[in-house]
Amino acid sequence: MVKIYTFCTSSIMVKEESLKAAKRITPSAYSAPTIEKNSAVKSKKTVDLCFPLLSDLVYGNPISLDALLSTFPGRRTQILELIQLLGPLNSPTLPLFVYGVPSTGKTSIILQLFRHLNRPFVYSSFRTCYNPRNLFESVLNLLLLHHRVAANGYSSTKRCDKPSDFVDFLRDALTSLIKRLKDDVKNSVSPQSVLPIDGYMIYLIFDHLELVREWGKSTSMLQFLFNLHDNLNIPEVGFIFISNLAPDMFCSNMTYVEQIPVYFPSYTEDDLRQILLRNQENQKLYSSFLNVVLRPFCRITRRLDELSPIFESLYMQYCKPIGDPSNVILSEDMKRRLYSNLMPHITSARNETFRVLDYAAPGTETSTKFEMKGCKRKLESSKKSDELDFHMSMSAKYLLISAFLASRNQATLDASLFDSSGGSDSRKRRRKTPDKVKAQQEISEDDLQTKGPGSFPLERLLAIFQCLASVAEGSSDEDGGSDDWLGIGGESAVVTSNILLQISSLSNVKFILKGGSCPLEGSVRYRCMVSEDLALKVARSLRFPLAKYIYRR
Amino acid sequence: MASSDDNSQFMLATLQECGLKHKTLVFVLDEFDLFIQGKQRLLYALLDALQSISSQAVVIGVSCQLDVEKLLDKRVKSRFSHRFLLFLPPSKNDLLKLVEHALYLPIDSSIPQDYAVEYNAKLDAILEDRRFQEIIDSCWESYPTIRHLMKFLFHAVSSLNLDSGYLSFENFKAALPSMQRQPKMESLRDCSVLELYILVCMKRLEVKEQNSYNFSAVMKEYKSIYGSFHTPDYYGQNVCLRAFEHLLQCGLIGFTDDRGGHNQIIEFRPVKLLISLSELIYGLKSYNSCPALLLKLCA
Repeated sequence: MVKIYTFCTSSIMVKEESLKAAKRITPSAYSAPTIEKNSAVKSKKTVDLCFPLLSDLVYGNPISLDALLSTFPGRRTQILELIQLLGPLNSPTLPLFVYGVPSTGKTSIILQLFRHLNRPFVYSSFRTCYNPRNLFESVLNLLLLHHRVAANGYSSTKRCDKPSDFVDFLRDALTSLIKRLKDDVKNSVSPQSVLPIDGYMIYLIFDHLELVREWGKSTSMLQFLFNLHDNLNIPEVGFIFISNLAPDMFCSNMTYVEQIPVYFPSYTEDDLRQILLRNQENQKLYSSFLNVVLRPFCRITRRLDELSPIFESLYMQYCKPIGDPSNVILSEDMKRRLYSNLMPHITSARNETFRVLDYAAPGTETSTKFEMKGCKRKLESSKKSDELDFHMSMSAKYLLISAFLASRNQATLDASLFDSSGGSDSRKRRRKTPDKVKAQQEISEDDLQTKGPGSFPLERLLAIFQCLASVAEGSSDEDGGSDDWLGIGGESAVVTSNILLQISSLSNVKFILKGGSCPLEGSVRYRCMVSEDLALKVARSLRFPLAKYIYRR
Repeated sequence: MASSDDNSQFMLATLQECGLKHKTLVFVLDEFDLFIQGKQRLLYALLDALQSISSQAVVIGVSCQLDVEKLLDKRVKSRFSHRFLLFLPPSKNDLLKLVEHALYLPIDSSIPQDYAVEYNAKLDAILEDRRFQEIIDSCWESYPTIRHLMKFLFHAVSSLNLDSGYLSFENFKAALPSMQRQPKMESLRDCSVLELYILVCMKRLEVKEQNSYNFSAVMKEYKSIYGSFHTPDYYGQNVCLRAFEHLLQCGLIGFTDDRGGHNQIIEFRPVKLLISLSELIYGLKSYNSCPALLLKLCA
């Protein structure tokens, strides 16, 4: 959907430029109407959004082939191959299948290629069209030059649910559009007139095809799309499919027109270096930085979208000793100094390569933390990560801890941890557990490593929860507890419906999963998906001694 | 929106009308094997409607599945005439004729005649060439469908040299690699060194005949390799988990439990390698700057 608006802004730019150009070049069929619309455009720019033109189907501002090749280092072969396969103007083509690892530039290269070729295309992505109806309606809206605005209640031109309807509507829309384009080509008066659109072929681009595999009736949708070229039987339409997965992962029994595969390999180290060096003010400094970091991090991942955030933060660290990056002279000595300054950060960054950066607190970080040395900084950051960075209600926290204990410990251990009066007794825990139980507990430790958290029935969870709540109530009475307790366990024996609702909300966020039913009883069992670190964090925020309850060998 | 009852009534009425007017209807059901999924209500209704005396109609089903008859319901099968028309793939001669027909320029069309004649003459020379016939043979043997051949020819024609304007043998030779892609090798070459380590660990677990293992078992193996060889590539659990997820995404490894997958976290679900040992070794050898330790561990 976002693409509609970028087309619109580019169409506004195209119109303004053609207005200026109209004085120099003989007016083509397109600049004529814009002169009349001149006053309308200048007074109410929003009106333009309701009247999209045919020129909205191209990218606008065409670029030359050299500009295209220099924008994408390392992709020369792929770009030339695509140009060859798409062919000269108005040549029919078989469907293309562009695939490669994520962040290899497939989508951007295809779009910029169409900008260079100045041919009309319709782009839709399966990330924004999450069911067939969305896809069909968005493609039809783009082809029929319809915009969803407040004036028409944000509705599409046609309601289209079924693939059979879509084929009919699509055929009508495409034939009328192609006829219009052909007429425009015929009517263009002089050969020097600059047409906003080259040719009369329309290309349909479908991006993120691998997401279709996760749809319910995925195979039928894929077969439908791959067969669309055959079904439509219009030679002036080209199809381009973009995906992260190779075409073999989309295999099916059905016959369909074979797509021509175009493979985008992931970037080599040299390509990555070229790409990262672009848009950097101080090329020498950055390239000496890359000499240090590129090789070790390329051993972890070669994807650009994962490397660039790490390099950004590391580059800030690298430049710290230099006051003014623009005036620095890079001697060997200086390089060695910068390298030794960066080393501890590299080792810590290597193990945090994929951590999602917390953008909420850059201000506090830069002011207080950068004066400290490397090791101290690690302590600070770990202290920050000890706190829970999302909010949960008290009862939900207690439920989560109970679920964690239920999954972590064997059921036979509950008796020794929680005594019958509902409170836990740490003194009792030092009583020697019988050997059989000990052996079972050791087996459960191994199981935890290999099979993951155990499952428990709902009753066990509620029993542990009541024990913990009564413990907490006892401790809060000593502290002069807060009013929150009345909600949970004021009358601690009663399991209110609030608790059950909390359980269902915990399972909605996938902290507790349903599954693994016991074959004998047939009752539903739950599993706690939370890691030990998160459970400890939650317990720390409640000042609850969770460590005492976890059985460790 | 009509119900299926209304539709079948309509069809019966139509068939009767056509029968009275002595017009035969032909129903062609393409991709017939897709009609056989589910309860086959449509097929039954259609074939049942043909049973009435006044209807003159033929149903022709087209499918690429050879044993499609076995999947028919009993009641549908009894109404089927058991007449098959088998279409065999073309012979070598027919194949060459097809290629000629696809590639030759028509003489009497809008294309200038001298150019077309010259083009066809040059094409004749290429078609006579034994190497060209070998290429067509290898293309046909890997995947014997006309569509695949047409895809190959299209690829070759698209690389036509626009300056000279004639096809040459090099065009066909250049199009051949796109027919002989090795997708798993491509994915292997796209992997990073850490991902290769994980693949080798999984291979070692499989060699030790651990039939079902999960990510935590792979991590144990990874740590033991570090313990014995002290490799420089030792990373934490979350980094390895992300590399593991990359491998899942590109299809080099896969979960073995398809249905019960949502009951467990990703670290504990059983996985398996989707490439064989020989493919892995071949991929490691063709990987530039592959650590020698990995090859040693695989052998």
